[in-house]
Amino acid sequence: MHELSIMASLLDVAEEHARAAGAQKVLSIHVVVGERSSFVDDSLLFYFDALTPGRLAEGAKLVIRRTPMRFYCQTCERDYTPPMNSFRCPTCNTTGRLQDDGNACYLEHMEIET
Amino acid sequence: MTSTDSLGVMHGIRNVKVVKSLLANNDLVAEANRQTFAAHGVLAINIIASPGAGKTSAIIRLIQALEGRARIAVIEGDIAGSIDTEKVLAAGAADAVQINTGGGCHLEASMIQQALDDLDLGQAELLIIENVGNLICPNYWKLGEQLRLCLASTAEGHDKPLKYPDVFAASDVIVINKSDLAELVDFDRKIFIELVRALNEHAPIFEISCRSGAGVAELAEWLLAQRG
Repeated sequence: MHELSIMASLLDVAEEHARAAGAQKVLSIHVVVGERSSFVDDSLLFYFDALTPGRLAEGAKLVIRRTPMRFYCQTCERDYTPPMNSFRCPTCNTTGRLQDDGNACYLEHMEIET
Repeated sequence: MTSTDSLGVMHGIRNVKVVKSLLANNDLVAEANRQTFAAHGVLAINIIASPGAGKTSAIIRLIQALEGRARIAVIEGDIAGSIDTEKVLAAGAADAVQINTGGGCHLEASMIQQALDDLDLGQAELLIIENVGNLICPNYWKLGEQLRLCLASTAEGHDKPLKYPDVFAASDVIVINKSDLAELVDFDRKIFIELVRALNEHAPIFEISCRSGAGVAELAEWLLAQRG
């Protein structure tokens, strides 16, 4: 359900930037969505296809890049992506500092035809 | 890749860098709401919780705890019905408005903007917005609130922050309700707090029981102090 709102919002943002860049057509839209966000690829693609007809992005391809949740382990001095059942470092079992909560949700770039 | 047409206009395929939140349009409306709250001197609190965590009960307890000191207006977000609005008005809310999302799983800033037309903010010091019961998407749609309050209850288990990290990471205050049930439902507060702290180092954590009223006064005082 929430994928519908998010795709409607994406198209508004995309269209605004595409027009400003003088686009006749949007060929592809590249979004970054965190792995821990609740947005499901199939559902995002479904609503994207449902909402694009008649708009500048009609026929455009939606490309989704997933980014992981990341912590920094002070003991091991490196980043780690925690397993689903713990936030602890898989190597030393201490809890690191949160670097990225895995909930990214933004439009990165677009390919347009001018 | 470019070409020039008969009118001398360049055509081609270009890459446009955007880097903008998919929620950008919602965030603009949220900012307008925030200014409305500020203009009225109202502290707006967005409560995010699972269904059954005790959102409405907590609001009623807070209204009672601050009676005579601060008035609370309420926006009730629900899929359908107006039971909760009736309850908070009966409990002494300064004013209350119901938003029915008609199946929608979260409130959006524009819904709040509309609801504000029907709400008398001049009558209140605090505005509590009860979001739709859901720990997932309400977290993405800012409403213009100054405080995001995540309410969890012991009966849901101590692993909630593990399953829904974003809401615990993004909240300004975490409240554990049904503290009186902790032992019965094997809620391990140490694990819960450790998980919250991995995501959120600073948000205060309050433990309350809406059934007995325990801990509510401390939460109410803290909220009131945030109004400044």
